[in-house]
Amino acid sequence: MGNPMKIRAANKDGVTEVKVLVSHEMETGQRKDANGAIVPAWFITELVAKHGDKTVLSSEFGPSVSKNPYLAFKFKGGAKGDKITVSWKDNKGDSRSDEATIG
Amino acid sequence: MSRFSKSILAVALGMSVFSSASAVDNFHGVGRQATPAEVKAWDIDVRPDFKGLPKGKGNVERGNELFEEKCASCHGSFGESNEVFTPLAGGTTKDDIKTGRVKGLSSGELPQRTTFTKVATISTVFDYIQRAMPWTAPKSLKPDEVYAILAYLLNLQEIVPADFELSDKNIADVQKLLPNRNGMTTDHGLWPGASAKKGGIGNGGVPDVKNVACMKNCKPEVQIGSTLPDYARTAHGELADQNRNFGPVRGTRTLGPEAAKKAADASTLDLATKSGCMACHGVKNKIVGPGFNEVVARYQGQPDAESRLIAKVKAGGQGVWGSIPMPPNAHIKDDDLKTLVQWILAGSK
Repeated sequence: MGNPMKIRAANKDGVTEVKVLVSHEMETGQRKDANGAIVPAWFITELVAKHGDKTVLSSEFGPSVSKNPYLAFKFKGGAKGDKITVSWKDNKGDSRSDEATIG
Repeated sequence: MSRFSKSILAVALGMSVFSSASAVDNFHGVGRQATPAEVKAWDIDVRPDFKGLPKGKGNVERGNELFEEKCASCHGSFGESNEVFTPLAGGTTKDDIKTGRVKGLSSGELPQRTTFTKVATISTVFDYIQRAMPWTAPKSLKPDEVYAILAYLLNLQEIVPADFELSDKNIADVQKLLPNRNGMTTDHGLWPGASAKKGGIGNGGVPDVKNVACMKNCKPEVQIGSTLPDYARTAHGELADQNRNFGPVRGTRTLGPEAAKKAADASTLDLATKSGCMACHGVKNKIVGPGFNEVVARYQGQPDAESRLIAKVKAGGQGVWGSIPMPPNAHIKDDDLKTLVQWILAGSK
């Protein structure tokens, strides 16, 4: 299930700016632990943001993205009170979806 | 006794014997006593025991609004920004909140320290926000606003839930949840006053370092353990020229004594140019002052020539070589002066 994301969305002059702080380990699979064993890869592969039912951002993530990634994007439209849903899937089959209201 | 020292004595007596009010009276005509309102405006610090904490309250939601408006431009919406300042939030775990010591600090897992991985007292954060934030308008936040922003930060750090309201009543409870609350030690000599045993905070001024000079088993002399073998000396050209020219370590002269002397003279010529000698003196010709060859000719065979010349160059002079004076050169270092004079007397080669 992962840890909850922090999402802020604000509408200004017809443009909605969404900021997301994802909480995820984002292991590349190239690091070794103290015993020399490889730390298994564990990263987000897909992240989708929806405004209501409409997809406004669809992205493929990979091991080069940092731990606890921060993501900000803007889209036209959206109004105060609308729902923004951000969801991700990772390479272990885990997924998480969080919701925020445009303010 | 002069008037000045009398007045100092009076001040000293005033400080030690009389109350602070009469001490101020001793500065006749200088300033005035601060009014209670002025003292109140200045005395805004909040201490770890929450002395000085203003009454008020603020919730996470209000803090979010304020943070977005006043703080996010530098700190990022989630206090995550590393652009202007180091991040405010992040880097701690639920375990840290239990133990009161951020594990990442000692295990080296933390890629980046944040405010909440380090700070041990919540009062410090309150005081800092109240005193210094926002950067462009410090002290402009009302106590309720500081409480709200602090509540938002604590929520970002997952110390308090999203519906939390921070106030002067429950801030002491939050202190007990701070991730690095046990991370501060006071057993250090820099704390002023008495030691912790005697009611102070530090260790009474015992230095952290001992600084005991090691005077045992000293080596009687330096022994060179290894040198460049002859066949390899010139493999990389002149090593001395490839090393930094400051600090105690120089590369060895690998191209032999001839090259070494040439290089040393070249550097003395540089020194002479830098010191301004070459503006008036030529090596083999007169410019404004005598050429160095003329100087050598005049002082040849005089055993005290070096010390006399050093004194002359330093103080300047007139009349020995004509009416144009030589300016004093007190700005040149003594060592450099000596090098220059020896170089001139040796023929400026």
